[in-house]
Amino acid sequence: MNAPHRWLQNNPGLGDGPIPVEPYISPEYYKREQEKIFSKVWLCVGREQELPKAGDYKVKRLDAAKTSVILMRGKDMRIRAFHNACAHRGNTVVTETGEETFGASKAAIVTCRFHGWVYGADGALKLVPQESNFYDCFRKEDNGLAPIHVDTWEGFIFVNVAQTPDATLAEFLGEYAGHFAGFPFDKLSYEFTYRTYLDCNWKVAHDAFAEAYHVETIHAGSFPNAFCGGLENVKLMGPHRTSAVCLTLGATPTAVATLANSLAQGSLVAVRGESMLPPTLNPDHRPNFAFELSVLFPNTLIHVSEGIWFTHQFWPMGHNKTLWEGRYYVAPPTSYSQRWALEHAMTLQRNAWLEDTATMEDTQRAMESGAKPFQNLQDDEILIRHGAHVVDTYVNA
Amino acid sequence: MKLRLCSRGDLPTCEVRRFELADGRAVALYHLEDGFFATDDLCTHGEASLADGEIEDGRIVCPYHLGAFDIRTGKATDAPCHIPLKTYPVVEIDGELFVEGEKVEG
Repeated sequence: MNAPHRWLQNNPGLGDGPIPVEPYISPEYYKREQEKIFSKVWLCVGREQELPKAGDYKVKRLDAAKTSVILMRGKDMRIRAFHNACAHRGNTVVTETGEETFGASKAAIVTCRFHGWVYGADGALKLVPQESNFYDCFRKEDNGLAPIHVDTWEGFIFVNVAQTPDATLAEFLGEYAGHFAGFPFDKLSYEFTYRTYLDCNWKVAHDAFAEAYHVETIHAGSFPNAFCGGLENVKLMGPHRTSAVCLTLGATPTAVATLANSLAQGSLVAVRGESMLPPTLNPDHRPNFAFELSVLFPNTLIHVSEGIWFTHQFWPMGHNKTLWEGRYYVAPPTSYSQRWALEHAMTLQRNAWLEDTATMEDTQRAMESGAKPFQNLQDDEILIRHGAHVVDTYVNA
Repeated sequence: MKLRLCSRGDLPTCEVRRFELADGRAVALYHLEDGFFATDDLCTHGEASLADGEIEDGRIVCPYHLGAFDIRTGKATDAPCHIPLKTYPVVEIDGELFVEGEKVEG
């Protein structure tokens, strides 16, 4: 039997008091988060494998950092990042069609559709139609795309929109980077993605996924008796945090789940091996280890397990509006039966995510009523407590 | 004098490649279903290499502003391009592809 307050004992600095609701409902607090967090820290904006060829690009909107970023692979195969803004009169260079806009250019260039200014994948302004009509003070070499700091870790692309970031990506990730180093993210490349807009604060969405306490109640339909409600191996690493979620052994899977699990490693609800896990994960070799649940500050959750990894990202669009993206990755199927088994896993996961996201707007509305100015957290909600603590530290820095 | 570009097997169908010739010109060589064609590589509108463009329905689409030319005739087919592109006959001898070299003036 675990001590009921073990995470508090390990992390007494976080305290045990209630957590204020104000940071979840205040437009003013959100402005400070934009300025002190989303415009200052490294944000995970994609995977290198999304841009496989020279000239491939993706534009991602970053409302919280008040910009859109062009990520483009050059002919030298390097990925660079730029603000999506033209030096002429400020139009977006790549016309965006949504939160993410993908494109490919064999010439490794992007062209503004307004007046035809052409920029290379290195950001240089390559061509201005009727250039001689501009005045002597205008120089093409001074008017390339505005660069954004970019770096990668384990195939994840990060950007930092600060002029001069406070830390390199490696410094920012710190111990978190080593914790997951070596997991075969690239090999598990068969992906499905769900996304939606939620009328809630980004931290409401983060919190809903950062504990397992909710599983036995809200997921009674999709994951009946599947997971333990507590966390194991909680580790706080600077602004980041991680933990292990475990299975309830001995639960009887449905007949269809039994068949699917025998065909492919796609579902979280199955006893898992450890062949892909770096030694830092499930260090005690718990037989019921289900998956690692980690938070890469500020807005990315990375989960890994044998044969599966998945992420949640919460992109703030206002103090009570969030874009949620859930991405789930497994090994590509090699047969139709495996394809079916993965569809089963995907459907199961979709149902669980629908149950998760369904609470978030309700939570926000109730929080905004002001009826309850504080939240009460239990010991296994340590990741939420740590998150609130880290956000508040950044906002008040 | 004929200038060699490449062997016919070097350029797959529906692809284009740039060649810099000994006489200073840069040409784009295209492999279409009905044979090989060559044009100037430089777009007549912007300063783009057409070999960086995409072939669509017998046209080369310029990567800079999406104007286009008929590969076989050089005629400008899509705005903002309007000045035709110079074309060159491609000659095949024993599987090798050539264009005619420019006569040096004087």
